[in-house]
Amino acid sequence: MTTIDAPHEAADAQVDTAMSSPVRATGARRAKVTTLFAALVVAIVVVSLVSASVGQYGIGFGDVAASVAHKVFGPLGVGHASADHFAEATLWQVRMPRVAMSLMVGAALACSGALMQGVFGNPLADPGIVGVSSGAAVGAAAVIAGGINLLGEFTVPAAAFVTGLIAALVVYSLSRAHGRTEVVTLVLTGIAVNAVAGAGLAFCTFFGSQVARDQIVFWQLGSLNGSRWPYVVTVAPLAAFGIVAACAMARRLDLLALGDRSARHLGVDVERLRLAAIVLVAVMAAGAVAFSGVIGFIGLVVPHLIRMVIGPGHRVLIPASVLGGAVLLAGADVVARTAVPYADLPIGMLTALVGGPFFFWQLRRARGRAGGWA
Amino acid sequence: MTDTSTSAAVASARHRGRGHAGRRPRRAAAPIVCLALALAACQVPNSGSGATPVEGSTELPWSQLRPLVDPGGYVGSTTALLPEPDIAPITTNPHPVLPATVTDNQGSKVTVTSDERILALDLYGTLAATVAGLGLGGNLVGRDESTGFPAARSLPVVTSNGHQLNAEAILALHPTVLLTDTTLGPWSVVLQVRAAGVPVVVLPATRTLSTVGSLVGQVAAALGVRAEGNELATRLDDEISAERVQIDAVAPKDPAKRLRVLFLYARGQAGVYYIFGKGSGADSLIDALDGVDVATDAGINGFSPLNAEALAKTRPSVILMMTLGLQSVGGVDGALKLPGVAETPAGQHRRIVDMSDYQVLSFGPLTAQVLDALARALYAPNPVASGPVISPSGGAR
Repeated sequence: MTTIDAPHEAADAQVDTAMSSPVRATGARRAKVTTLFAALVVAIVVVSLVSASVGQYGIGFGDVAASVAHKVFGPLGVGHASADHFAEATLWQVRMPRVAMSLMVGAALACSGALMQGVFGNPLADPGIVGVSSGAAVGAAAVIAGGINLLGEFTVPAAAFVTGLIAALVVYSLSRAHGRTEVVTLVLTGIAVNAVAGAGLAFCTFFGSQVARDQIVFWQLGSLNGSRWPYVVTVAPLAAFGIVAACAMARRLDLLALGDRSARHLGVDVERLRLAAIVLVAVMAAGAVAFSGVIGFIGLVVPHLIRMVIGPGHRVLIPASVLGGAVLLAGADVVARTAVPYADLPIGMLTALVGGPFFFWQLRRARGRAGGWA
Repeated sequence: MTDTSTSAAVASARHRGRGHAGRRPRRAAAPIVCLALALAACQVPNSGSGATPVEGSTELPWSQLRPLVDPGGYVGSTTALLPEPDIAPITTNPHPVLPATVTDNQGSKVTVTSDERILALDLYGTLAATVAGLGLGGNLVGRDESTGFPAARSLPVVTSNGHQLNAEAILALHPTVLLTDTTLGPWSVVLQVRAAGVPVVVLPATRTLSTVGSLVGQVAAALGVRAEGNELATRLDDEISAERVQIDAVAPKDPAKRLRVLFLYARGQAGVYYIFGKGSGADSLIDALDGVDVATDAGINGFSPLNAEALAKTRPSVILMMTLGLQSVGGVDGALKLPGVAETPAGQHRRIVDMSDYQVLSFGPLTAQVLDALARALYAPNPVASGPVISPSGGAR
């Protein structure tokens, strides 16, 4: 409108202002979201390159970048493979799988955390409470202590995956009553299952040989040491499937945040959504934990951090958590490898060291708001 | 009653620059001279009669030692030490025939093209010792935590966090061949090294007296030195047979009087205590020492968590332990506080015999010497000399 009648100017101006503030607000938020995603993507690239260039085998950052460029853009003549064939082999057979694994496991765990928090409506939910981690630990320990080797190098991850899934589904089915799932019952059943799994774990630890015991303990502490391309290729489809399905559920999770009843009235099948979410969480978390051992708190910390920046909308939260989880775990892995010379700190220990205090802080914050939502 | 714990051999032998050139008769020496027979009664603290200072004493062959009439009644603990922990190679000039193709213990066909830079890693350090025995010790470029023989001590350690293999440390040494078994993990690291192009030969992990020769043969085949391997295996088998004859001569002939021995594994003070039974290697060791393996008799297979009543039921007269394990529970006093130990005859006589963790069950090229040292500790332990006893592990108690 280029000409405005004078008597209507004031009224129109008011309408204009009223109409333009939501537009401006949405524009501001969109800018924020775009910045966040751009920052996360850049962070992923930088952390990956840094992670690939640190380690006991000295390969400089420039060499790493050149080698990566050569692998990716080789036909264009960009970059060059490392002259030392051991360096090249170390980079592509030892470090790159580790970087890829840390990105994927971080993404899968953060996504499951975001899903759990959405489904339970509680900001303190973490995939561990559903019993996935401890269930997987029991499966791995049983196979290690028993010396079973049916699938070669995949025996332990397969056993961990299966038992993790079973544990999560047992917890879910035990906490259903009259076709509905009480959230509190779910959490309490998870605690009970965790306790039983702990006993099973102690049993396996006690009866294993010295070598088996060391392996079980290190598996429980979580480590990305020994990641290989076959493992990466196995985890990738599970993680990808989980993330895509989670993004598809995002809108319904937003509706669920209004309350079970309201969501039902708005056409969301609450029970089915909960079941689907828990299955996804179980699959992603079990798949991640099966190869890397027990790594906790990523699912708790990352969605919170993202929410502090852009609020609780799931359509942005879930993809952003995926990227944020990847960055966080890859960064933690760099620290795990470089903090103490010639030693590889268990990464589960590091995440717990940071995640534990964070959990306490969240508890205190939530208390002030009657256990509310961020 | 004072505790006496003596070493069957002393490191001073090394101080005197004793090399291992040539083929001297390999007998673990007991340079502490004391011909006083140690019977079940009290030990006199200053047993000056016949005791000469450790420095400058000579090797004592078995013919000059009088074994105990009743080894089961001896009181006090003993540390078994090797006089010469370094490995004597079968030849200083091996001639590898390369490339060598072998089928390893897991059925993979591996071709080794160069012996220049060897890595031999396993839980007991046997493989590195075997490589040294074959004369290729100079080609070792790194070691594991369990390899401690003097020639290898300066090599970089490629394990992290104890016995965990570190792929980058391994690859940083540019090895041309990796020999390992399944006792060190994580297994995926071994696969990473293989994927990086290094030939990896996986050897069997069982260690008993009967695997000594066969392991030497397998390592030699992988490194292309089969002829030297046969020679070394023959030498080791001969040494072991000779040692067993010697042990038969000093051990009690009457089966009823044979020493009842139990191998106890302990680490720290948090309840990590295991009895090593049938198939653990300890049974083979005790059997070779003409002892009665009470754990096997009681039906214990492999590694069994320590149960106080089961231990008391086996009634061992001697408890065999690893030196670092014994230190970790607080020495002999601490070991006597372990559940069930004080109730055994061994506990009541404070009869604990310890030997280096890296030698006692490794069944490598030093097996005959290990048997000899243990036999001396069991059947002819000597009281402490009146002078200062120099022993590398501070065995004097």
